[in-house]
Amino acid sequence: MKQKIIPTLAPRLKVLNREQAEAIHNAALEILAQTGFRMEHAGARDLLVKAGCKKGTDSWMTMPAKLPQKALATAPRTIELFSQSGKPAMRLEGDNCYYGTGSDAIFTWDLETGRRRQALLDDVRTFARLVDGLEHIDFVMSMANPKDADPKNIYVSVFAEIVKNTDKPVVFIADRGEDIAQIHEIAALACGGKDELRQKPFLLNYSEAISPLKFPQNVVDRLIYCSQNSIPLCFPSGSNAGGGAPVTLAGAMALGIAENLVGLVIHQMVNPGAPFLFGPNVSALDMKSTVVCYGCPEWSLTQAALADMRDEIYGLPIWAYAGATDAKTVDAQAGAEAMFSICTGLLSRANLMHDVGFLEFGSTSSLEMITMANELIAMCKFFVKGIPVSKETLALEAIDQVARDGSIFLTADHTFDHFMTSLFLPSLLDRSRFDSWKNAGEADMYKRCNLEAKRILEEHEVASKPSKIIEEIDKVVAKSK
Amino acid sequence: MSSFQALSEAIIKADQKIALAEMKNLLDAGTPVQEILDKGLILPMDEVGERFSKGTMFVPQMLRSAKIMQVCVETLKPSFQEGAISFKGKVLIGTVAGDLHDIGKNLVAMMLEGAGFSVIDLGVDVSPEKFIDALKTEKAEVLAMSALLSTTMPSMQATIEALKKEGVRKNVKVIIGGAPVTEDFARKIQADAYAPDAGSCVVEVKKLVKNAG
Repeated sequence: MKQKIIPTLAPRLKVLNREQAEAIHNAALEILAQTGFRMEHAGARDLLVKAGCKKGTDSWMTMPAKLPQKALATAPRTIELFSQSGKPAMRLEGDNCYYGTGSDAIFTWDLETGRRRQALLDDVRTFARLVDGLEHIDFVMSMANPKDADPKNIYVSVFAEIVKNTDKPVVFIADRGEDIAQIHEIAALACGGKDELRQKPFLLNYSEAISPLKFPQNVVDRLIYCSQNSIPLCFPSGSNAGGGAPVTLAGAMALGIAENLVGLVIHQMVNPGAPFLFGPNVSALDMKSTVVCYGCPEWSLTQAALADMRDEIYGLPIWAYAGATDAKTVDAQAGAEAMFSICTGLLSRANLMHDVGFLEFGSTSSLEMITMANELIAMCKFFVKGIPVSKETLALEAIDQVARDGSIFLTADHTFDHFMTSLFLPSLLDRSRFDSWKNAGEADMYKRCNLEAKRILEEHEVASKPSKIIEEIDKVVAKSK
Repeated sequence: MSSFQALSEAIIKADQKIALAEMKNLLDAGTPVQEILDKGLILPMDEVGERFSKGTMFVPQMLRSAKIMQVCVETLKPSFQEGAISFKGKVLIGTVAGDLHDIGKNLVAMMLEGAGFSVIDLGVDVSPEKFIDALKTEKAEVLAMSALLSTTMPSMQATIEALKKEGVRKNVKVIIGGAPVTEDFARKIQADAYAPDAGSCVVEVKKLVKNAG
């Protein structure tokens, strides 16, 4: 008899209904049409005027609603990123979720001394190598704003170090039109040429407008450069509740989306169909310290809301964050906050989640924190798969046999055949009995992650690039000084 | 030699069909039976134990390897002259008086067998007298006691006291375990060893036998 296949429900989170989503979207359009924005890039101003925007004084402009609608229609629904060696890596669309690190932390938590210190260029290498060896961390960002790098070409040297130390996709920062061109050159060297890079992009640029509603010259330069060269880009302004944006989350989202839409409109006018990863960063400003929170429920809530708006309205893959904390060390707060954003991000199907591994609201990076997050992500991925129901998983034969034998399931063949897929098997989360744990050295989660990070850094081999390519990359870096 | 490797791999991967076939090849080729046991069955189970300790293998895999090893040993038995078969050591195991729980005890027994020990399982609710009688007839090197209830833990102490009284305490190493049992308790009642879980029990019993020899 043929078995009926029962579809598996994959658990997910919804935080907005359609009315809420539409109201926020309409508010964003209204901000652009009524309040307008400050566009400091003359070329972009001309483009926008030609398309129907109105110019006010002091580079203020307003935008009619039809322009964002048109841009949303031409932007691609899928952005595919590859590894540097050309293998499919991240297909940003629909329900697909990916995690990666963040950029430009000033400090790092030293793996050897267990103390906070200023980040160096060498840390960029170490973080890239670690991420390369972690199964559930899909892309690399610099994690450091290295003290020993020349500020003049800092992003070029940082990018060069990343591509030398990982094969995974890279989300990168640049300063202006010149250094992004040099980074582009290095990227082409890393993957075999500009055509290869265009066909199989492994990089995505992170650029941001300044909330509220300000678009600096250098930022728009990068936006245009990426669009012209089909380099995928995200454009998330920091429209944080109570800081760059209203303290009420609906208004903060509307403002952030409005800013994002201005970027999208210019981007699609320059090169219709160029890849644009949608979405602002909407966290909250802490009302005591005034820092932008990385472990708060607000950011997780607004990005879950953005995922709902993607499903209801935009259809474009979205930018998000996860796996970070405001705690100063990898402590209980760090674990709780990292897990909260990792879990809700996956449940709401945020497509690209950055900032994994940050402590201290993005000021400090931690190799242990990324290592821990890797395991937490695995735990959440297990949860999100749901409960497959079939003849095999209902296990009636095994129940019958084991019960009759008077045995237990641990020794059953059914267990042997299925435990790997039907259970989550942690490697860092400790479930041993007290004495076993004590005899093994009483290591807490931080210590275990420290040892695991060291092990990976020692054992993992990164696919190396030919020395000729490395020389060429170094030449570009030298030229950029 | 390559056949030992094939048999070893089959034991580690827990493939009964291949294991039995490889063992038959070795027997047909005239390989000494004790060598098959030592190199083809016990050695790979040491590897299984090693992998388990390192966390690269899980209990169901270890149990299945142990089960297949047992099937192989049974098949080998007729080829041995009576009593000639040599194991790593003999372990007497049971759940103590007043306690009817046997899941953990059975697990430990299976793992010990898998590690190459000869195991005599006395079952549940085993009185001190029963332990002592069995010890006298079986001449085991290790006595392993299990308890799930805190109320039956005193039976462990009673058994050890009875061993002393009978004058056989010196002849045997005692190891205890079970959910409420702790290292402190083991020390208090003067057991020789304690294991918090089945995996570490195998490790501890190996140590006990080595030190005794």
